[in-house]
Amino acid sequence: MSGRIAILAEPRVTHCGDQGLLLEAEGDLALPTQERIWALNDRVLEWPGVLDTQPGMNSLLVLLDPDESDLVESADKLLRAWKECRSATRRGQLLEIGVVYGGEGGLDLPDVARYHGLAIEDVVKLHSDAEYTIFAPGTGPGFGYLFGLNRRLFIPRRNVPVMRKVGGVVSMAGAQAMLGVPRKPSGADVSPTGWHVIGRAPDAPMPFDVARDPMSIVSLGDRIRFRVERIER
Amino acid sequence: MIEIRQTSPLNTVQDLGRFGYRRYGIGTAGAMDGLALAAGNRALGNAQNAAGVEFQLFPATICFQRDAAIALTGADCAATLDDKAIPPWWVLPVREGQTLKLSAPMRGARTYLCVAGGIDVPEVLGSRSTQMRDAFGGLSGRYLSAGDVLSAGPHAAFRFRDSFGFGIEPPESALTPNLHDWAGENEVVLRVILASEAPQFDDASLKAFKTASWTITAQSNRMGYRLAGPTLRRPDPTEMRSQAIVQGVVQVPPSGQPIVQLADGNSAGGYPKIAYILQSDLWRLAQSTPGRTLRFSVVSLDDASRARQQVSQYLNELARFSSHCRMQVGR
Repeated sequence: MSGRIAILAEPRVTHCGDQGLLLEAEGDLALPTQERIWALNDRVLEWPGVLDTQPGMNSLLVLLDPDESDLVESADKLLRAWKECRSATRRGQLLEIGVVYGGEGGLDLPDVARYHGLAIEDVVKLHSDAEYTIFAPGTGPGFGYLFGLNRRLFIPRRNVPVMRKVGGVVSMAGAQAMLGVPRKPSGADVSPTGWHVIGRAPDAPMPFDVARDPMSIVSLGDRIRFRVERIER
Repeated sequence: MIEIRQTSPLNTVQDLGRFGYRRYGIGTAGAMDGLALAAGNRALGNAQNAAGVEFQLFPATICFQRDAAIALTGADCAATLDDKAIPPWWVLPVREGQTLKLSAPMRGARTYLCVAGGIDVPEVLGSRSTQMRDAFGGLSGRYLSAGDVLSAGPHAAFRFRDSFGFGIEPPESALTPNLHDWAGENEVVLRVILASEAPQFDDASLKAFKTASWTITAQSNRMGYRLAGPTLRRPDPTEMRSQAIVQGVVQVPPSGQPIVQLADGNSAGGYPKIAYILQSDLWRLAQSTPGRTLRFSVVSLDDASRARQQVSQYLNELARFSSHCRMQVGR
């Protein structure tokens, strides 16, 4: 586990097979870069032959209809558009979420503290002092990938995924943080994860419901602060 | 009206997938073997993207409460209609009260039931595909169960020239198999385009990826297939940022054993990617069951474009032939 995080000196566009393109931004993971990604996303959605787009952490996936767009030309166009794209500040709503750190809901908190040579209280303080921004959609509808993790808490993903209880999971991996959706009545109790689970948000709202208007209560650019409910050991 | 009399879990209503909602992290879902679904639809004169039923766990019994025209494509599941055998890849009329039975396929994994007019479930976020993860789309966002009744959408009336119906050519015989120097007779060859992290793997691993035989493990389903084979090593394990990912991506987690993300897979993730399976070949994987072995053949973007042309030519020829076997009525 080296814990180093890949950084590109120059932006690049690579092919996702024959289905689309992935633009990866240059430099450290940063908010102004992500604001440019969001701006680029809005612009690319207008292009003919674009089936769908999805921002990642300082990256953008563009799915193309290969019958309507030339993949090689589109790659050049995407890179040019990125270079021209300016950052537009987007300051979304702020959500405050109570977290029970450690205990059964945050099994990995002691290990995270040990990995960094910090006291458990210090990990909790560093985690809850930060303000996080919803950078990109996650593995499914929810609160997305969060940016804002204190550098001192960066930690590599696990080599082998572990089973952890689902429902308001507060976790971290690499330079990223995450807040999981509440457990669904019909859903599984546990799920595999390579992330480190340090706590649980018992009262996190359900962020997405297809039957609700609006479907999602959060948007890219919204901010989250974690409030310490208590630390369990 | 189509009544599901008996079914195992895991069978769902699917079309060719949901696009345009990735900003919420909503993946594509859709038929695992989209080519079989598209072929069944084209044979019936439906839109290619009409919804059908994907069967992946058997047996299943379906009772038709109205006359209808259906197509059975995908895996050969020894189907019978009122106890009379129906060949695979067959398009036929069914009468009110007739019973269709599907058994576990000897070969292949998924069978598609298409009906003239398409399965009429509400479109949710632009698609009729069942999104299991978030429980929407398809029939109430869930697996089919005994007692469910599905209806067919409206369509132009037609008769079959031959009351037995007609057969259509499966892609397995219409599309030339992929070549691989090392592949055995029963191995599936999948064409891939290398991914951006491929150069980060050591030479031995890259070579192993291209030459070795990969076994589909039991941990393989609509979310993804886990493969077993030589360990693929990435000497400098830099942490990746999480990125959006697509169906058919071959990721390599630190265990060194590849994972292929499929229809119900994650829409984002942070494992390094070694390759992407051509969309035109995903049906071959969808029809491969655990225990079967695969080889990967690295091709170019031009090869991918030729592969797509072959698939669309196949579907167009199938549609032209099928339109001959049907006669419009009441016009």
